[in-house]
Parts: sequence; structure tokens; C-alpha cells
Amino acid sequence: MVSVDYELRKKVMDAHIHDALKYCYQCGRCTDVCPVSRVAPERYNPRANIMLSFLGLNIFKGQQNNFAIWGCTVCDTCDEICPQKIELTEIFAVLKNMSIAAGEGPDYYTTQASAIYDAGKAIPSQAAIERRREQLGLPKIEEPNVEEVQKILNATKLNTILKK
Amino acid sequence: MTEYKMFQGCTIGNRIPFLEASARKVFDKLGITTSEAAFSCCPDPVGFNSVDHESWLAMGARNLTIAEDEKKDIISLCNGCFQTLKMVNTELLHNEHEKSKVNKILGQIGREFKGTINVKHFVEVLHDIGAEKIKEMMSKELNGMKVACHTGCHYNRPSEIMQTDDPFKPKKLRAIVSATGAIPVDYEEETLCCGAGVGNAEEEPAMQVLANKLKSAKAAGAEALIVNCPACFQQFDTNQKKAEKLAGEAFNMPILYVTELLALAFGEKADDIGLKFHRTRTNQLLEKYNIA
Ligand code: SF4
Ligand code: SF4
Repeated sequence: MVSVDYELRKKVMDAHIHDALKYCYQCGRCTDVCPVSRVAPERYNPRANIMLSFLGLNIFKGQQNNFAIWGCTVCDTCDEICPQKIELTEIFAVLKNMSIAAGEGPDYYTTQASAIYDAGKAIPSQAAIERRREQLGLPKIEEPNVEEVQKILNATKLNTILKK
Repeated sequence: MTEYKMFQGCTIGNRIPFLEASARKVFDKLGITTSEAAFSCCPDPVGFNSVDHESWLAMGARNLTIAEDEKKDIISLCNGCFQTLKMVNTELLHNEHEKSKVNKILGQIGREFKGTINVKHFVEVLHDIGAEKIKEMMSKELNGMKVACHTGCHYNRPSEIMQTDDPFKPKKLRAIVSATGAIPVDYEEETLCCGAGVGNAEEEPAMQVLANKLKSAKAAGAEALIVNCPACFQQFDTNQKKAEKLAGEAFNMPILYVTELLALAFGEKADDIGLKFHRTRTNQLLEKYNIA
């Protein structure tokens, strides 16, 4: 049996879309234009995700790399087409943030976030590329202040999510 | 003369810098001046925002304050960086509650988001400079080269925030490309995503999206695909072989950054802009149009 997840409801309602969500009339335009629904119709459906989020029915929990939320390629086509101006991808970000906090997202995401925490960059500088930059006549990339980055990410408690 | 803060981003800066080489050569010719700053990752609107929205906002805001310190607008070479910085800038400008939350965090490192600068995508800047000026700099006409334009999603959507171009019929990239004498073809999947995002979770659906895109461009007679985002570039260039395998069809579609196309039209040598680092070969195309 699925029960109502009040934390999910609260987070979805708190996201700055406010109460826009309740105006979704399930027309399905979002799913019509979704490139992932087109190639994997049984596995990914933004319309259903909106309905479930609104009701607080968290069927997404308890699965590593759950394609029902992580399948979104974040093309923002649904946001653009929605006749009710619902910012779907913002709601999906709430679902994904909760999935990561529960330790359930695809590895790609936490690996990238970890690199950003450690080096300030998703792709840290490497000697071979630095040489290539020089050969191409490009200036050196200025290194970010990692101490500042980590202070920020400790303040947002990303360090605990990433187990740093 | 306006000087922009250059935001090449992690992918171009630290993985495929040859795209930056073409951009800088084109900027020089067109009189766009830039300077460096010690920016961190933008951070990635698909990756990092999915991990933690609050962290994404705060990190994006920190980058904006670096440009604010110098009172200079940012020019982005990447759709992802552009979307993050523009969205964070807009969200904090219009949401006092979020702004004060973020500024409380930034206060710990002695920074404050003020919202005093703008963020530009390089395609907007090139388009503002205009076709006439581009034509003036050209030494090589690419007359008749049929190309498929792909702006990528984060360049123009969500349009309410990005405000760069039409969300479903983007015109600026086409206008720039047309200035070189190349002909942008109409193809059904022009606004379809490259599929990179879903690839972070699973490869096969991403390759299906990519194959749909390339098939459509090929069917419309495109000889090359023109892009303005390094994530799209990598998806099309590096993963094309995988998409071909899945589709059971050879695309052999050269991928050119729009600044590469312009650099070639301006007479730059293919070697000087690192075209040899592309995975999908460009030789035949260059030979056909007599470009060295
Ligand atoms: S397009 Fe908008 S209103 Fe229609 S189902 Fe999707 S979210 Fe609901
Ligand atoms: S943003 Fe996600 S849900 Fe919306 S259309 Fe694109 S892939 Fe589908």
C-alpha cells in the first residue's frame, strides 16, 4: 500500500512554484512532448510524476537509480508547453534532491558533486589538458578558491549528504 | 568597449579546450573583449541542481558576486553554465526570501549577492554584433553548405527566464550560420534534446534520443550539425558511434561548434583551432568546401 509522504508534500508545496501545482489538470501535454517518454513510455511519465507529487504519493522511494524520476533529461520542454505554466522541472528537482538525500540517486550525480566539493570544479584541471591549452595559445584557467566553496557547501550541509 | 568576464566552464576549459580556441579567435576578430576570473563550476544545472537545489543556488550566486566585484557582465561559452548563472541571477533578483537565505550563506565568506550584472550566452552576443560585421571578416564563403542547427535546450528554455530566443523556433543561431553562406535546413527534430541528461542515469534511452535527432538531421540533407554547447557537442561527437550502432545506420555527421564554423569562414586553419581533436571526422566536409 502507498501512504502519503508528508515530507514530500511539504517540500513540493514549498518549492517556489507555490500552489501552481494544484492547477494541473492532467492534460498530458508534458508527456506528449517529453523525449524520454517517447523512447521509454512505460518507464518515464512527467504527467504521472506531477500527480503523484501533488498527492504526496512517494512511489519513488527505496530504489537505487529510479528511472521514473532520474530518466528526465532536463530539456525543459514540458515547462515550456504546460498550459498551466507549471514549472515541472523544479518539482522534479525536489524529487531528485530527496532521492539523493536518501542515498538513492545514480552514482553520476554524487560523483560529480563530490568533485565540485573537492576541487571547486566538476572537471578538475589535468596536466595533459593544461598542456593542450598552452599549445592552442589559451590562457591558464584561474583556480577557484576551494576553501570558500567548501564553506558554502558545509553551510548547506552538502558535506553530510556527500559524507565528507 | 565592454569587457566581459569569460565563463568557459569546466567542460570546455578542462576537457575540450579546442572549442575555446575557436571562440577566442572569433571574438578577437569581432572585437569582443574578455578577461579571466577564478570562477568555480557554475554549477551544472542538470547534475548539481538535482543533488541539492540550495547548494546550487549558493554556488551560482558566489560566481555572480565575483563578476559583480568587477562590475562586468559574464559571457558564457556553454548552455549549462549560462542556464545556471542566468537562472540563479533571476531567481535571487525576484525572490527576496531566497536571496536573504543565500546571502546569509555567502556572508560566511564575506560575500553578498547584489544582482548588478547580466549573464549572456555567446550566441546572443554574436547575434547582436550582426551578420554584416561577420561578413566583413570573412575570407571564405561556405556557400551552399547544408547544416542542421541545434541550439540545445538550456540556451532558450525556460524562455520566461532565459529570454534569449524563441523557445521552439530559435532564430539567432540560424542567422549567424546564414551569414557565412551556409544554409540551415529545416528538420523535424530541431528542438529535440541531444539526450545527454538522461545518459547520466542510463545509456540506452540517451542513445535513442540521440539517434532520433541525428536521423532527422540526416534525412533533411544536413552535411554537418552546428552546436553552441559543449555538452551537446560531446554527446553528438563522442557518442555518435554508439547511436549509429543502436540505430543500425551510419550518420557520419561532422559536428561543428558555431565558433568553429565562423573561424573557418574567417580563414583560420583547421589545425590552429584543433579540429583534429573531433571524434567524428570533418575532413571530407572541409575538402568539399575547399577549407584547409
Ligand atoms: S502539461 Fe501541465 S497541466 Fe498538463 S498534465 Fe502536464 S503538468 Fe499538468
Ligand atoms: S524536462 Fe524532463 S520531463 Fe520535461 S520534457 Fe524534458 S525530459 Fe521530459
